Amino acid sequence: MIPLDRLRDSFEGVIPSVIATTDADGMPNISYLSHVHFVDETHVALSNQFFSKTATNVARNGLATVMVVDGYSGQQHVLDLVFERSETEGETFERVAIYLAILESRMSGIMKLRAVDIYRVEDCQAVPAANPLVEPEPLFLPDLMGKVARLTARMSNCSDPETLLDVTLEGLGVLFGYRHSMVLVPDGERDGLTTIASCGYDQFGFGAEVPLGRGIIGAAAERRRNLRITDLSRGQRYIQAVRTMAGIEDAIPIPLPALDKPLSQIALPLVARGRLVGVLFSESAERFTFRHRDEEALTVVAAHLATALSFLSEERERAETGWREKAEASADMAVELPTGRRIAVRFYPRDGSLFVDDDYLIRGVPGRLLLHFLEDYARTGKRDFLNREIRRDRRLQLPDFKDNLETRLILLRRRLEEKAGPIMLEHADRGRLRLTLAGRPEIELVED
Amino acid sequence: MLGPQLAEFIESPVMILFATRDEAGRPMIGRGSGVRFDRQSGYLHFLASHCQWPKAVGEALAGRPIATTFVRAADYKAFQIKGRVLEAEPADAAGLALGQAYVAEQLAQMLALGVTRMQLSSTLSDRELVCLTIEPQAIFEQTPGPGAGRRLTPEAAA
Repeated sequence: MIPLDRLRDSFEGVIPSVIATTDADGMPNISYLSHVHFVDETHVALSNQFFSKTATNVARNGLATVMVVDGYSGQQHVLDLVFERSETEGETFERVAIYLAILESRMSGIMKLRAVDIYRVEDCQAVPAANPLVEPEPLFLPDLMGKVARLTARMSNCSDPETLLDVTLEGLGVLFGYRHSMVLVPDGERDGLTTIASCGYDQFGFGAEVPLGRGIIGAAAERRRNLRITDLSRGQRYIQAVRTMAGIEDAIPIPLPALDKPLSQIALPLVARGRLVGVLFSESAERFTFRHRDEEALTVVAAHLATALSFLSEERERAETGWREKAEASADMAVELPTGRRIAVRFYPRDGSLFVDDDYLIRGVPGRLLLHFLEDYARTGKRDFLNREIRRDRRLQLPDFKDNLETRLILLRRRLEEKAGPIMLEHADRGRLRLTLAGRPEIELVED
Repeated sequence: MLGPQLAEFIESPVMILFATRDEAGRPMIGRGSGVRFDRQSGYLHFLASHCQWPKAVGEALAGRPIATTFVRAADYKAFQIKGRVLEAEPADAAGLALGQAYVAEQLAQMLALGVTRMQLSSTLSDRELVCLTIEPQAIFEQTPGPGAGRRLTPEAAA
């Protein structure tokens, strides 16, 4: 029997698997199967929800034969299975459920996982390639541990969260070839995630939102599990077939993040001290960019990023204490309000959304933060702000966790920079932000 | 039993699977290399590569049950036809030509869908073709989804 861990690329669901069973009269049944999942050296899990004939046959004699296909090479293997048990919870169930959760976006629950069936593998044999059309291309899989070591060393040298985010995403591109990546953080208010850093896209997209549970990013955050798709095209064709059969007319495709035609995607939750602090997401227009071993490497990077991001955000607040008096002194020396053009600022307290000169800027905590800065500025001319004083201000309705403030400030500063409008927020020095305006803000609060 | 639309469907460049079983009821899986529906007799002349699928073809003995599934790769539209093997013989010249044409057509179709030549090397075979004569007995809808496995009446299958 061929060890199952040599077949990992056959358990990615890229090329459909096949399942055959036999009924009480000895009549075989054969159909495609959405996915065969690797469990361990001698077990696989099947998640198929539709094939009632298969279920009936297996319930009768416990026998099934499946064929899995390597999504890269096309190599086929036939596995002789014996049913062991059904599971409705646990590690394997969760892993399969999250994969289906992605596919079932907008599927009205048709693909919802009820149980996974665990089978013992009695034999695994290769199917000979009877008609080789081309010589198999050797698969070059470079060492990833060395790259992980280099990237995490670079990350460890970062002294502030913003640099850490950029170094991480840049390193993923340069060292690993993962050229389209982003980090999203929980928005703390709407159960969603907001883009705080990105690399390799036409637009940075700072402030772009993903609802919790939606798509690969939202699902990874909601379930706090890695999610990896090696070939999206197949999943979408399969889903379309199910949708058509189910009579769902609304043919909205699975919502996809930034690349026009991604074929591989991976999302990893960033968890520090048991709390979700973000999601690391990467995608590619190629198939099989993220294999099982890439996920392992990225899991280490994500763990390091989560811990470092959380640590540096707190560190920053501590470090700035020494600057407090200086900042307050600077605030006391209220400068003259600039004249120049009027900057129209419109703020909606309901969701904290803020518009500058009729252009949407941002909402939520970053919106409230900017309003706070602008109001202080309009009232006293104050331009310098410290995290500590911001945190103490109850008007801002800040979330409880310290790192949230730091990430919101990064988000706000980057969003202002990307918009290149009349309001900018700069790092004056360590832990201190300075507001720069090309005009005179006029603030309008809109209650609705 | 097969209506003209279904006959046309299975003879078009669809992916073909089949299953037989051994004495103990263990199913055997294989891929088909083309099929022709004999409109006179109502039988299927089904091609499979013996060297690639020795177990599945080896159990395709006269009198044994067999299941065949035909799937259009572009949208997964699929039907399953179950029946009985009447005869298993090495393919004749016409059968070999049909198998070669099927492999060539499949190759073009799958390449257009983005499947690589390397991947297809393992899938498609026109070598050592055996022709199974099959008497169809039941037809099932097999497109993935809630309707999969639904038995079609002869009228619906038409």
